[in-house]
Amino acid sequence: MSTTIKSPSVGSIAAILVENGASVSPGDELLVLEVMKMQIPIVAPLAGQITAIRVEVQALVQEGDVLLTIG
Amino acid sequence: MSWQPEIDELKSRLELARQMGGEENVARQLANGKRTVRGRVDGLLDPGSFHEIGALAGKGVYEAGKLVSFTPSNFVLGTGCIDGRRVVVGGDDFTVRGAAADASVGNKAGYGELLAREMRLPMIRLVDGTGGGGSVKTLEKMQYSYVPANPSWDVVVSLLTEVPVVGACLGSVAGLGAVRVVTSHFSLMVKGTSQLFVAGPPVVERGVGEKVTKEELGGSAIHARGSGAVDNEVESEDEAFDQIRRFLSFLPSNVWQAPPRRESQDDPNRRNEELLSIIPRDRRRAYDVRRLIGMIVDIDSFFEIGRYYGQPLVIGLARLKGHPVGVIANDPMHYGGGLNAAGSQKMERFIDLCDTFHVPVVNFVDQPGFLIGTAAERAGTIRYGARALAAVYQATVPWVSIILRRVYGVAGAGHGNAQALNLRYAWPSGDWGSLPIEGGVQAAYRREIESSPDPDRRRREIEEMLNELRSPFRTAEAFGVEEIIDPRETRRLLCEWVDSAYGLIGSQLGPKRRGCRP
Repeated sequence: MSTTIKSPSVGSIAAILVENGASVSPGDELLVLEVMKMQIPIVAPLAGQITAIRVEVQALVQEGDVLLTIG
Repeated sequence: MSWQPEIDELKSRLELARQMGGEENVARQLANGKRTVRGRVDGLLDPGSFHEIGALAGKGVYEAGKLVSFTPSNFVLGTGCIDGRRVVVGGDDFTVRGAAADASVGNKAGYGELLAREMRLPMIRLVDGTGGGGSVKTLEKMQYSYVPANPSWDVVVSLLTEVPVVGACLGSVAGLGAVRVVTSHFSLMVKGTSQLFVAGPPVVERGVGEKVTKEELGGSAIHARGSGAVDNEVESEDEAFDQIRRFLSFLPSNVWQAPPRRESQDDPNRRNEELLSIIPRDRRRAYDVRRLIGMIVDIDSFFEIGRYYGQPLVIGLARLKGHPVGVIANDPMHYGGGLNAAGSQKMERFIDLCDTFHVPVVNFVDQPGFLIGTAAERAGTIRYGARALAAVYQATVPWVSIILRRVYGVAGAGHGNAQALNLRYAWPSGDWGSLPIEGGVQAAYRREIESSPDPDRRRREIEEMLNELRSPFRTAEAFGVEEIIDPRETRRLLCEWVDSAYGLIGSQLGPKRRGCRP
């Protein structure tokens, strides 16, 4: 059962802080979304392993776009 | 000879009314995870406080002049108390003909609205019916069609300007029922067991060819997490009753009274050390504004409304020294706090609520401006933003702003009424202007930058020069901001303010000239 992490809003990816396969704990920062000059940390809602990263740094994303998945 | 036989008949008729739509229908209602209308009234009101009106209304079947069976009206009405204060409550009984309007008896619902208006009591609607327009069966029954009119609507609309109105969506609610939920100051729906729509799936399939389930069409994911038609989503009916009680606890029974104060154990001088560092020094970092609000208002008093709609803006009711206040805050986690169309609508409606019921407003400001981009333009952000600004300027309720960080653009300028006192306190993290420096330099200094041998370097130099002028202390020197405070002093100052604010409320009571709209 994998969990998809979706973008909460439009914006661009300012940084990706985890690698594929990394183990994460709830609250860990996964990546940083930038919108209206504000950097918004996207945090892990649960513990698990990163199974896919779907975006690159500077990519433009829409609200609801899948950013990564945690397995 | 006494009237005892009639008293006995009265008792037996009331007993029949309590049976609602019969054992089988009641069992089905409960099996669907819902309370009966009477169970709901009991769950909402203070124990034993319900005074029912019109329990005798229904349809009796007589044989030889003797009542042999009785179906009660599908609307239960009465008054009762919430935290000791009387309210009017009216609820649909789904167990009687699905609470369909064509099975109603008299205008009980309309009588309830009138009762709330004339007695100046809060109105709570527990809606669980198929609407008011009835069904096409009405046509067969009446043998003629009618031009539709919304029943008692003059009163329903007037109530919004005079008493608190709550709409609870507790089942599949369409048409007039849906409008009755939404024509309120606060509405909620229960996840999974309630849906709200203009028309249900069969009509939608016939009309626009969409095949959808009730939940897909109008579940809480649609209305409490998207459309904004309903304010809050709750997990259970019990949570719905808790939220209704909580919402009403902040408001007076009507606009002729002041909002009720509660005893507060929380020290007005409490300083929270974390406030000194909660705003990141890096201007581009977001922070948790709900946590910030929680540290300043009376402990656990913040009651958020419409969390999942218009998310760049957080609104809710809270207390300071036990006095109700309305809280507005920008949430940098969503669009950096940039005000979008939905957030503007949320702001307008909330300001109107606070102004109508004389609830003083605390505005926590970190506003980068209206949301920009094609999606924002298409959404009509500027129209809804203009309406939110109009609400700020029309409000006459006491208002104070705490400038946490950014105040930019027209949306930032709308943090208070600049032609009035516009009482405010700025934190040292204050950062303001008509345009942010980073974006504005290239445009404003274009000739100078382009004619330089090293344009990039010239641009950075100009930016640095301007950044030095950006200090809020320079603004304070020019009295462009009246006070810069230690963030840990915010609660003390707000508690001082709220006493003065409530000193004014007494002379401002009564209806506002601007009526309240849903």
